[in-house]
Amino acid sequence: MIVAAEDPSPSVSRGSETSLVRLEGVHKWFGNLHVLKGVDLAMQQRDVVVVIGPSGGGKSTLLRCVSLLEVPTLGKVWFEGRDITDVRTDLNEVRTHIGIVFQSYNLFPHMTALRNVTVALERVLKLSSDEAHDRAMDQLARVGMGNKAGAHPGQLSGGQQQRVAIARALAMKPKVMLFDEVTSALDPELVGEVLEVMIRLAGDGMTMMVVTHEMGFAREVGTRMLFLDEGRVGEQGEPREMFYRPQTDRLRQFFAKVL
Amino acid sequence: MAVTEAPLFEPEVAPDVRGPTAPLPATIFALGIAALVVIAFGVLFSQVNYAFSDRAMTQYCIDQQVSPEDNGGIGVCNIIEALRDPVTTDALYLGMGLGALSLVLGASTYRRMDSRRKRDHAITGAVLGSQGILLAVAVLWFRSVSPGLFAKHFLNFADLHGYGGAFLRGIRNTLVLAFAGEMGGIVIGLVLGVLTLSERRAVRAPARIYINFFRGTPLIWQLVTGYFLLLFGFGLRMSAFTVAVIVFALNTGAYAAEVFRAGIQSLERGQYEAARSLGMSYVQAMRYAIVPQAVRRVIPPLMNEFVILIKDTALVFGLGLVESEFDIFTVAREGQAATFNATFFTVAAIAYLVVTLPLIRLVNAVEKRLRSGLVGIAGAGG
Repeated sequence: MIVAAEDPSPSVSRGSETSLVRLEGVHKWFGNLHVLKGVDLAMQQRDVVVVIGPSGGGKSTLLRCVSLLEVPTLGKVWFEGRDITDVRTDLNEVRTHIGIVFQSYNLFPHMTALRNVTVALERVLKLSSDEAHDRAMDQLARVGMGNKAGAHPGQLSGGQQQRVAIARALAMKPKVMLFDEVTSALDPELVGEVLEVMIRLAGDGMTMMVVTHEMGFAREVGTRMLFLDEGRVGEQGEPREMFYRPQTDRLRQFFAKVL
Repeated sequence: MAVTEAPLFEPEVAPDVRGPTAPLPATIFALGIAALVVIAFGVLFSQVNYAFSDRAMTQYCIDQQVSPEDNGGIGVCNIIEALRDPVTTDALYLGMGLGALSLVLGASTYRRMDSRRKRDHAITGAVLGSQGILLAVAVLWFRSVSPGLFAKHFLNFADLHGYGGAFLRGIRNTLVLAFAGEMGGIVIGLVLGVLTLSERRAVRAPARIYINFFRGTPLIWQLVTGYFLLLFGFGLRMSAFTVAVIVFALNTGAYAAEVFRAGIQSLERGQYEAARSLGMSYVQAMRYAIVPQAVRRVIPPLMNEFVILIKDTALVFGLGLVESEFDIFTVAREGQAATFNATFFTVAAIAYLVVTLPLIRLVNAVEKRLRSGLVGIAGAGG
């Protein structure tokens, strides 16, 4: 049934030194729950990897394994040729290169939008407050939130909060951006403004991994698509190709439900 | 939840839909109020009347063990004589009757009331009436036993002349003790609270032991043992007052730790993850993202701890404070020891209320403000 899991598509050059992010045989157990059952993945510069699949299939866990918010039970994660699952890795330093945006925004509610962006610039990257301010304002402007820099998250709509969250991650100048179902908590009329920002980001050449239920986005923006089903890569390939010619029954069933 | 451009509160008032009342429920309501008013007026009228008229000791008072030689004996006699004055008696029985009437009428008719307001009036009247009955029964019961014995020990204010300054100093010292203890406790509690959340047992265990020990033993034992331990065990030279502050801080620290732990745990895990994903260390995530939010949530429970500590400072009375350091309770106890008049404790209770009631009101107001969610503490909707 699962044909593609063990034989990566031609665009995946397993073990290549040019991979920005590489996952190797990643398993994750939560207690007795086996969520990821051996996932391999390699991402090159400018890849936009879209991860789709039924809920509970391990999509978010996979994404969180990339920035080691979840530590894989088995397997390795490589970032720029470094094994970051090694306990000696300075994860704080690695994470400054991996931006992540969450479904529930997770802005700090006691800080203004601007402060949300500058706090890590000042405290982690040790920028001066002037530099941090300028860089933060640039990124807020980039997501169309320049005029709301002084607002607290509670005063912003979900879409605006999510755009600030994207700016917060971008301001760290990450080498890869992870998006964990970032539009799932939004009212339908607010989804567009967030997707628009992500489309522009992909156009700018950002390397991205996107867990999403937005099939339109997956098809139009993704350079590669991963169908994650019951903890395994059920199928992967070029998004349009997968949409028009799904190889497995599981993917056909999945498309039948979501499209 | 959409944009918050709209005002938080609509100025328009919701319409009153409780409907009209009617003579019967209005009467029940009035009867209930009348029961309480009659009882209160009758008792207070007699008390004021006796207190401000020139009276001598009576045989009844002497039978009630109030002696003419007692300092303030006449005042005590007035109190118990006023209690059995016909005006008081009539008011008590009349009030009971009114209360019973409103209770019976209200309880038997409220189901049939056809508007919300009628029903409210009938029920409220019955409730007030039953409160009147209880109040009257309590007063009748009290005066039928030995009111003189109680009054001469707890309501004889004559011996308190000259103690005003001492009680004011007591209030100040009580507040200093409690405030210093609370501040120390908050610092200790914040550290311990964070430690209890560690994923390492070696870090958690000592904090847990400390907290369980201080929560599990009596504060008075901690004070006495702490006194001897610090002064003789560790040979420190410090006053009993300082010892008390230290023990209060250690004790409050255990309770504050639980408050901080709960406050931090009540935050969404995503807040911590967001901070870590920006490259912050554990300590930075705590300092910039978690603790500032937790602090807001723990303010009301910590203020409650402060109110509790104000009352617990009474336990220092056995530590041998010097006179300028006396807290409210010690002032009262010294006064009582000198005069064998427990009215000092009655005044002490009033002094505690003077301090605690405004604080209790403040806590409630702060809680309400935080709950109304001013600057989106909960995060946000979407």
